Amino acid sequence: MKTTKILLTLGLAGFMSIVSFGQNIAGSAHDFSGDNWNNTGEICVVCHTPHNAATMQEAPLWNHEVTTTVFTLYTNATSPSFDATASQPDGSSKLCLSCHDGTVAMDNFGGRTNGADLLTGNKNLGTDLSNDHPVSFVYDAALATTDGGLFDPTSTNSGLGGTINSDLLLANKLQCSSCHDVHNGSGLNDLLVVSNTASALCLTCHNK
Amino acid sequence: MKNISILILSFLIGFPIFLNAQSIITTKHNLSISGTGTIKATSESEICIFCHTPHNSSPRAPLWNKNISGTTYTLYNSSTLDAVPGQPDGSSILCLSCHDGTIALGEVVSRTTPIDMTGIMPSKSNLTTDLSNDHPISFTYDAALAASDGQLKTPPLNSLAILDHNSKLQCTSCHDPHKETNPKFLRASNEFSDLCFLCHDRTYWNNSTHKTSTKTWNGSGTNPWAHLESAYATVSQNACANCHNPHNADGKQRLLKSNLEENNCLDCHNGNVASKNIQTELAKTYKHDVYNYSIVHDPTESTSVTTKHVECQDCHNPHASNSTTATAPFVNGFNLGVSGINQAGNSVNPATNTYEICYKCHAGNSWSPSPAFPRLIVQNNVRLEFEPSNPSFHPIAGPRNNSEITANLISPNTANTVLYCTSCHASNNSTGPAGPHGSIYPQILKLQYETADYTVESAQAYALCYSCHNRNNIINDINTFKEHKLHIVEERTPCSACHDAHGISSTQGNSTNNSHLINFRTDIVFPSSWGSLRYEDTGVNKGRCYLRCHGKNHRPKSY
Repeated sequence: MKTTKILLTLGLAGFMSIVSFGQNIAGSAHDFSGDNWNNTGEICVVCHTPHNAATMQEAPLWNHEVTTTVFTLYTNATSPSFDATASQPDGSSKLCLSCHDGTVAMDNFGGRTNGADLLTGNKNLGTDLSNDHPVSFVYDAALATTDGGLFDPTSTNSGLGGTINSDLLLANKLQCSSCHDVHNGSGLNDLLVVSNTASALCLTCHNK
Repeated sequence: MKNISILILSFLIGFPIFLNAQSIITTKHNLSISGTGTIKATSESEICIFCHTPHNSSPRAPLWNKNISGTTYTLYNSSTLDAVPGQPDGSSILCLSCHDGTIALGEVVSRTTPIDMTGIMPSKSNLTTDLSNDHPISFTYDAALAASDGQLKTPPLNSLAILDHNSKLQCTSCHDPHKETNPKFLRASNEFSDLCFLCHDRTYWNNSTHKTSTKTWNGSGTNPWAHLESAYATVSQNACANCHNPHNADGKQRLLKSNLEENNCLDCHNGNVASKNIQTELAKTYKHDVYNYSIVHDPTESTSVTTKHVECQDCHNPHASNSTTATAPFVNGFNLGVSGINQAGNSVNPATNTYEICYKCHAGNSWSPSPAFPRLIVQNNVRLEFEPSNPSFHPIAGPRNNSEITANLISPNTANTVLYCTSCHASNNSTGPAGPHGSIYPQILKLQYETADYTVESAQAYALCYSCHNRNNIINDINTFKEHKLHIVEERTPCSACHDAHGISSTQGNSTNNSHLINFRTDIVFPSSWGSLRYEDTGVNKGRCYLRCHGKNHRPKSY
């Protein structure tokens, strides 16, 4: 029984070290309450509103102008070793890109369309996504088999308690949210979902 | 409760999937602080970052995280290269963003400050911007190339041989940078050069000793495999790598381990790997002096060699040589797969008869060695000397078919016997390696053959001649020229004074004046007082000589 307790303690300690609890968006890179382009002084309002939200799939009570960019993609033509089927960003990735493609002002929320504060620097991925990790593609067991350098998402642990598919993918697709937690649940640099120490996040999917 | 602990244990065990033994983590390409190699970061823990970044990659694919040096590389070239390597592209240019040594390992696109590293890339991994000593890359490998080269397998290749989407051979054709299940990140084991032979297709190789020999290095002298990071124990296992080095090769053309041609051979053929010691032969006074020439021999050179040189490769094909035996005049295993000049003077590849290999250099080339002595008839083309239609000749290119000589030949020689050049020109060490590598006797003769005037006759002095020709009969005038005893025993005249061992060309001599290999040495035999210097055959063991020698005037002398 003592052994069991020790094991339990060790297990919990290990789990805690991987996923830190108690972090949240306040004070994170996505807390814009103090930015001078956000005259509301609120945090959530830049992306969400409790009422009269935009009605769109994958848009939880969405309150920000959505990008209309047709993106340049990372495709099989960019990299012949890319075996997935590339598609225009959809789902939550499209919402991320509504600031991070640099075409929609950060302050274009709550119906405003004449904002001027565009994201700059490294965080602005631009409309050319061919130099960024592909998103919005189906990552399933078949892709893993075809590629040979990917783990089977349906049977491989994500490091978060379930499989890659259950924890990191949305509707079988890899999205920005597969790596990034916009709400800073983990409190990690770059809002990563888990620590990339020893490239652990990369190597969760990549069998290298 | 037990169930819970099992669940937690399995979670803990299952989670570190990235500790898989075959993953990049355990390879030298893990340059992070957790790396096991000597080159690694002082604090950076990320592994992929040294090559890849999820955002703002450069070049774009495969999300590359290092700038390209922009260097113009010096490309591989050789006289036997049929492929057309371009400036490195595809995956190769990515590899070179570290392996050309121009960009620091820690200098990645995604970090404004280079990652702090310890250790420096060893010279073996630094290919530099001079790729002329590395296996060619970034060339199209298609059926047309295989056809023009003739020594490459025709695509489609074995599935282990990876060409890129443009059918180009790249670094990744041999190396998988993420896996080190084989040394040097090789995609497959290169034992027996299996990896090389996915593409290369060498004529003769399957029967060659270099493929099959289980010989090992005895530990003495130079390590013949010092150019290999992880040599196998036997010749057979090392195969191509015995002589070739795919990277930073000292011998750039054909990627040989040594720029000095003979070292590629003699590091093994010195008694330390191969059982016969060729090096000892080449230390003798008379030899085919392979040490004397460097980068003169070329595999594409004319069969009739125009620039004087000798290398092991002139007579031996290391991809073909084996120990099969043959009878004269046919080539034995040691000389398989070597070009030559046939008796008609035409180029042949491979040579069928061993003498054809000798004719590449000894058949009237502008620089061919001159005859050893001044003679009445001068000829430095041994091919013409051995022509079977000649008035007399030693039986190299065909038998004498002359019953007159049979009586004095030692068994098993007969009038039908055919000899190799190496029957006379070979090592003086009868248990040493066969062939004319070196000898203590002039002209690389295997036995003593005195040529000085006034040599005291003995079995030893003319041991070479007496190994076939019955000494007792000769010095007692039995079934032979009846004044042999007078000339060689009493007057102490060497055999060579009257006989020209190779033969007398029909273009210069005739059956009356030049039977019995008669072609007088003009430094010993002089014209008679009447101005005549010639021999006339007048029948079996009968003739006439017009000459002056040892103070005797024959004008003529008949016998």
